[in-house]
Amino acid sequence: MSELTVIHKPEITHTQLVKYAGASGDFNPIHTVVPIGEKAGLDGVIAHGMLIMGMAGEALADWFPRKNLKKFKVRFSKMTRPGEKLTIEGKVTGERMEKDEKRLTGEVSVKNEAGEVKLSGQFEVKI
Amino acid sequence: MESLLKEDVKLKPFRFTIERGKIKEFAMAIGDRNPIYYDADIARKEGYRDIPIPPTFPTAIEMWGGLDFETLISLFGLDPLKVLHGGQEYRYMGELCAGDTITAAPQLISAFEKRNLRFITIGIHYKNSEGIKVLYSESTIIERRGTE
Repeated sequence: MSELTVIHKPEITHTQLVKYAGASGDFNPIHTVVPIGEKAGLDGVIAHGMLIMGMAGEALADWFPRKNLKKFKVRFSKMTRPGEKLTIEGKVTGERMEKDEKRLTGEVSVKNEAGEVKLSGQFEVKI
Repeated sequence: MESLLKEDVKLKPFRFTIERGKIKEFAMAIGDRNPIYYDADIARKEGYRDIPIPPTFPTAIEMWGGLDFETLISLFGLDPLKVLHGGQEYRYMGELCAGDTITAAPQLISAFEKRNLRFITIGIHYKNSEGIKVLYSESTIIERRGTE
Protein backbone atom coordinates (compact mmCIF):
# COMPACT_ATOMS: atom_id res chain seq x y z
CA MET A 1 0.00 0.00 0.00
CA SER A 2 1.35 3.38 -0.88
CA GLU A 3 -0.26 6.72 -0.21
CA LEU A 4 -0.47 9.17 -3.08
CA THR A 5 0.12 12.93 -2.80
CA VAL A 6 -2.89 14.70 -1.32
CA ILE A 7 -4.43 17.26 -3.70
CA HIS A 8 -5.97 20.40 -2.18
CA LYS A 9 -8.70 22.20 -4.12
CA PRO A 10 -9.74 25.82 -3.63
CA GLU A 11 -13.08 26.63 -2.00
CA ILE A 12 -16.09 25.69 -4.12
CA THR A 13 -18.08 28.75 -5.20
CA HIS A 14 -21.54 29.34 -6.68
CA THR A 15 -19.80 30.61 -9.81
CA GLN A 16 -17.93 27.34 -10.16
CA LEU A 17 -21.23 25.43 -10.04
CA VAL A 18 -22.64 27.66 -12.79
CA LYS A 19 -19.49 27.09 -14.85
CA TYR A 20 -19.67 23.35 -14.31
CA ALA A 21 -23.37 23.30 -15.25
CA GLY A 22 -22.54 24.95 -18.56
CA ALA A 23 -19.46 22.83 -19.22
CA SER A 24 -21.08 19.50 -18.36
CA GLY A 25 -24.57 20.28 -19.65
CA ASP A 26 -26.14 19.27 -16.31
CA PHE A 27 -28.66 22.06 -15.74
CA ASN A 28 -30.47 20.49 -12.81
CA PRO A 29 -31.42 23.72 -10.97
CA ILE A 30 -30.69 22.26 -7.52
CA HIS A 31 -27.05 23.01 -8.38
CA THR A 32 -27.45 26.61 -9.44
CA VAL A 33 -30.74 28.17 -8.27
CA VAL A 34 -30.80 28.78 -4.52
CA PRO A 35 -34.63 29.02 -4.10
CA ILE A 36 -34.99 25.67 -5.90
CA GLY A 37 -32.33 24.09 -3.69
CA GLU A 38 -34.31 25.35 -0.70
CA LYS A 39 -37.58 24.05 -2.11
CA ALA A 40 -35.89 20.67 -2.57
CA GLY A 41 -35.12 20.70 1.15
CA LEU A 42 -31.38 21.00 0.57
CA ASP A 43 -30.90 24.26 2.44
CA GLY A 44 -29.47 25.92 -0.70
CA VAL A 45 -27.65 24.58 -3.72
CA ILE A 46 -25.44 21.52 -3.77
CA ALA A 47 -22.48 20.78 -6.03
CA HIS A 48 -22.84 18.34 -8.91
CA GLY A 49 -21.60 14.93 -7.83
CA MET A 50 -19.79 14.76 -11.16
CA LEU A 51 -17.83 17.92 -10.30
CA ILE A 52 -16.52 16.14 -7.22
CA MET A 53 -15.73 13.04 -9.29
CA GLY A 54 -14.05 15.37 -11.79
CA MET A 55 -11.74 16.55 -9.01
CA ALA A 56 -10.93 12.94 -8.15
CA GLY A 57 -10.25 12.39 -11.86
CA GLU A 58 -7.92 15.38 -11.85
CA ALA A 59 -5.98 13.73 -9.02
CA LEU A 60 -5.81 10.41 -10.89
CA ALA A 61 -4.33 12.05 -13.99
CA ASP A 62 -1.91 13.85 -11.69
CA TRP A 63 -0.80 10.64 -9.97
CA PHE A 64 -0.63 8.52 -13.14
CA PRO A 65 -0.46 9.20 -16.89
CA ARG A 66 -4.01 9.94 -18.06
CA LYS A 67 -3.84 7.28 -20.76
CA ASN A 68 -3.07 4.52 -18.23
CA LEU A 69 -6.37 4.93 -16.41
CA LYS A 70 -8.54 1.88 -17.12
CA LYS A 71 -11.26 1.93 -14.54
CA PHE A 72 -12.73 4.59 -12.26
CA LYS A 73 -15.74 3.90 -10.08
CA VAL A 74 -17.21 6.01 -7.30
CA ARG A 75 -20.08 6.30 -4.87
CA PHE A 76 -21.32 9.67 -3.73
CA SER A 77 -21.90 9.70 0.02
CA LYS A 78 -22.45 13.29 1.15
CA MET A 79 -23.56 16.48 -0.52
CA THR A 80 -21.11 19.34 -1.10
CA ARG A 81 -22.01 23.00 -0.81
CA PRO A 82 -20.42 26.26 -1.92
CA GLY A 83 -17.88 27.36 0.69
CA GLU A 84 -16.45 23.90 1.24
CA LYS A 85 -12.79 23.15 0.59
CA LEU A 86 -12.06 19.65 -0.61
CA THR A 87 -9.01 17.45 -0.65
CA ILE A 88 -8.42 14.33 -2.69
CA GLU A 89 -6.61 11.39 -1.18
CA GLY A 90 -5.59 8.16 -2.77
CA LYS A 91 -3.60 5.02 -2.26
CA VAL A 92 -2.43 2.06 -4.27
CA THR A 93 -3.84 -1.11 -2.78
CA GLY A 94 -2.53 -3.90 -4.98
CA GLU A 95 -2.01 -5.36 -8.42
CA ARG A 96 -4.09 -7.49 -10.71
CA MET A 97 -3.98 -8.92 -14.20
CA GLU A 98 -6.64 -8.10 -16.77
CA LYS A 99 -5.93 -10.59 -19.55
CA ASP A 100 -2.28 -9.81 -20.40
CA GLU A 101 -2.32 -6.38 -18.83
CA LYS A 102 -0.81 -5.74 -15.40
CA ARG A 103 -2.69 -3.14 -13.42
CA LEU A 104 -2.38 -1.32 -10.13
CA THR A 105 -5.56 -1.12 -8.11
CA GLY A 106 -6.27 1.76 -5.79
CA GLU A 107 -8.72 3.76 -3.77
CA VAL A 108 -9.58 7.42 -3.97
CA SER A 109 -11.64 9.62 -1.68
CA VAL A 110 -12.70 13.25 -1.53
CA LYS A 111 -13.18 14.90 1.86
CA ASN A 112 -13.95 18.35 3.23
CA GLU A 113 -11.95 20.13 5.92
CA ALA A 114 -13.92 18.39 8.67
CA GLY A 115 -13.01 15.01 7.20
CA GLU A 116 -16.51 14.29 5.90
CA VAL A 117 -16.24 11.85 2.98
CA LYS A 118 -18.02 13.15 -0.13
CA LEU A 119 -17.01 10.43 -2.51
CA SER A 120 -15.17 7.16 -2.26
CA GLY A 121 -14.06 5.06 -5.16
CA GLN A 122 -11.73 2.61 -6.77
CA PHE A 123 -9.48 2.85 -9.78
CA GLU A 124 -7.24 0.69 -11.93
CA VAL A 125 -4.26 1.88 -13.93
CA LYS A 126 -2.12 0.03 -16.41
CA ILE A 127 1.49 -0.32 -15.32
CA MET B 1 -48.00 10.96 -7.73
CA GLU B 2 -47.20 7.40 -8.66
CA SER B 3 -44.99 6.52 -11.57
CA LEU B 4 -44.33 2.94 -12.61
CA LEU B 5 -40.86 1.59 -13.17
CA LYS B 6 -40.48 1.81 -16.88
CA GLU B 7 -38.28 -1.17 -17.71
CA ASP B 8 -39.32 -0.76 -21.31
CA VAL B 9 -37.98 2.78 -21.50
CA LYS B 10 -36.25 3.24 -24.82
CA LEU B 11 -33.02 5.15 -24.60
CA LYS B 12 -31.95 6.58 -27.93
CA PRO B 13 -28.44 6.05 -29.30
CA PHE B 14 -26.59 9.23 -30.12
CA ARG B 15 -23.44 10.51 -31.74
CA PHE B 16 -21.03 13.12 -30.44
CA THR B 17 -17.96 14.86 -31.81
CA ILE B 18 -15.37 15.74 -29.19
CA GLU B 19 -14.03 19.28 -29.51
CA ARG B 20 -10.95 20.93 -28.00
CA GLY B 21 -12.91 23.94 -26.77
CA LYS B 22 -15.40 21.78 -24.89
CA ILE B 23 -12.59 19.85 -23.20
CA LYS B 24 -10.90 23.09 -22.15
CA GLU B 25 -14.17 24.51 -20.77
CA PHE B 26 -14.80 21.28 -18.85
CA ALA B 27 -11.29 21.15 -17.36
CA MET B 28 -11.53 24.82 -16.37
CA ALA B 29 -14.85 24.27 -14.59
CA ILE B 30 -13.27 21.52 -12.50
CA GLY B 31 -10.20 23.66 -11.91
CA ASP B 32 -8.03 20.95 -13.47
CA ARG B 33 -4.88 22.64 -14.73
CA ASN B 34 -3.30 19.61 -16.40
CA PRO B 35 -1.73 21.10 -19.58
CA ILE B 36 -2.67 18.08 -21.72
CA TYR B 37 -6.27 19.40 -21.70
CA TYR B 38 -5.28 22.85 -22.97
CA ASP B 39 -2.37 22.48 -25.35
CA ALA B 40 -2.37 19.99 -28.23
CA ASP B 41 1.41 20.20 -28.63
CA ILE B 42 1.94 19.22 -25.00
CA ALA B 43 -0.66 16.45 -25.36
CA ARG B 44 1.17 15.08 -28.43
CA LYS B 45 4.50 15.22 -26.61
CA GLU B 46 2.92 13.14 -23.87
CA GLY B 47 1.90 10.55 -26.44
CA TYR B 48 -1.71 11.46 -27.25
CA ARG B 49 -3.09 11.90 -30.78
CA ASP B 50 -4.65 15.21 -29.78
CA ILE B 51 -6.05 16.72 -26.59
CA PRO B 52 -7.41 13.76 -24.57
CA ILE B 53 -10.67 13.85 -22.63
CA PRO B 54 -10.54 14.18 -18.83
CA PRO B 55 -11.69 11.00 -17.04
CA THR B 56 -15.17 12.32 -16.28
CA PHE B 57 -15.73 14.11 -19.60
CA PRO B 58 -18.18 11.40 -20.78
CA THR B 59 -20.77 13.10 -18.54
CA ALA B 60 -20.58 16.13 -20.87
CA ILE B 61 -20.92 13.79 -23.86
CA GLU B 62 -24.06 12.31 -22.31
CA MET B 63 -25.66 15.56 -21.19
CA TRP B 64 -24.91 17.45 -24.40
CA GLY B 65 -25.42 14.39 -26.59
CA GLY B 66 -29.03 13.75 -25.66
CA LEU B 67 -29.26 12.11 -22.24
CA ASP B 68 -29.63 15.33 -20.31
CA PHE B 69 -31.31 15.88 -16.97
CA GLU B 70 -34.66 17.00 -18.42
CA THR B 71 -34.78 13.97 -20.73
CA LEU B 72 -34.11 11.52 -17.88
CA ILE B 73 -36.73 13.22 -15.69
CA SER B 74 -39.41 12.89 -18.34
CA LEU B 75 -38.40 9.38 -19.50
CA PHE B 76 -38.61 7.92 -16.01
CA GLY B 77 -41.25 10.22 -14.54
CA LEU B 78 -38.95 11.49 -11.79
CA ASP B 79 -39.47 14.39 -9.43
CA PRO B 80 -36.61 16.72 -10.42
CA LEU B 81 -36.28 18.06 -6.88
CA LYS B 82 -35.71 14.58 -5.48
CA VAL B 83 -33.07 13.22 -7.81
CA LEU B 84 -29.48 12.64 -6.72
CA HIS B 85 -26.48 10.98 -8.32
CA GLY B 86 -25.66 7.81 -6.41
CA GLY B 87 -22.69 6.41 -8.25
CA GLN B 88 -20.71 6.44 -11.45
CA GLU B 89 -18.32 4.05 -13.15
CA TYR B 90 -16.11 4.34 -16.22
CA ARG B 91 -14.11 1.66 -18.00
CA TYR B 92 -11.66 3.05 -20.50
CA MET B 93 -10.79 0.70 -23.36
CA GLY B 94 -9.40 3.13 -25.90
CA GLU B 95 -8.06 6.65 -26.16
CA LEU B 96 -10.57 9.43 -26.84
CA CYS B 97 -9.30 12.75 -28.10
CA ALA B 98 -10.54 16.00 -29.60
CA GLY B 99 -11.62 15.41 -33.19
CA ASP B 100 -13.06 11.95 -32.50
CA THR B 101 -16.69 11.22 -33.30
CA ILE B 102 -18.19 8.49 -31.16
CA THR B 103 -21.50 6.71 -31.00
CA ALA B 104 -23.22 5.96 -27.71
CA ALA B 105 -25.65 3.11 -27.12
CA PRO B 106 -27.43 3.65 -23.80
CA GLN B 107 -29.42 0.91 -22.09
CA LEU B 108 -31.36 0.59 -18.87
CA ILE B 109 -29.44 -1.80 -16.60
CA SER B 110 -31.83 -1.83 -13.66
CA ALA B 111 -34.64 0.07 -11.99
CA PHE B 112 -35.94 -0.82 -8.55
CA GLU B 113 -37.27 0.62 -5.33
CA LYS B 114 -35.88 0.04 -1.87
CA ARG B 115 -36.96 1.79 1.35
CA ASN B 116 -38.49 4.85 -0.31
CA LEU B 117 -35.57 5.20 -2.67
CA ARG B 118 -35.77 4.48 -6.36
CA PHE B 119 -32.55 3.38 -8.07
CA ILE B 120 -32.10 3.69 -11.83
CA THR B 121 -28.91 2.47 -13.48
CA ILE B 122 -28.05 3.30 -17.07
CA GLY B 123 -25.10 1.82 -18.94
CA ILE B 124 -23.66 3.31 -22.11
CA HIS B 125 -21.32 1.57 -24.54
CA TYR B 126 -19.29 3.92 -26.70
CA LYS B 127 -17.67 3.05 -30.01
CA ASN B 128 -15.30 5.10 -32.11
CA SER B 129 -15.79 5.79 -35.81
CA GLU B 130 -14.16 2.45 -36.64
CA GLY B 131 -16.74 0.64 -34.55
CA ILE B 132 -14.25 -0.30 -31.82
CA LYS B 133 -15.41 -0.19 -28.19
CA VAL B 134 -13.60 2.64 -26.46
CA LEU B 135 -15.54 3.35 -23.31
CA TYR B 136 -18.23 2.07 -20.98
CA SER B 137 -20.07 4.38 -18.61
CA GLU B 138 -22.53 3.33 -15.92
CA SER B 139 -24.51 5.79 -13.87
CA THR B 140 -26.90 5.26 -10.97
CA ILE B 141 -29.39 7.93 -10.08
CA ILE B 142 -31.49 7.89 -6.94
CA GLU B 143 -34.92 9.42 -6.45
CA ARG B 144 -35.85 10.11 -2.85
CA ARG B 145 -39.48 9.08 -2.57
CA GLY B 146 -40.29 10.27 0.93
CA THR B 147 -43.73 11.70 1.55
CA GLU B 148 -42.61 14.86 3.34
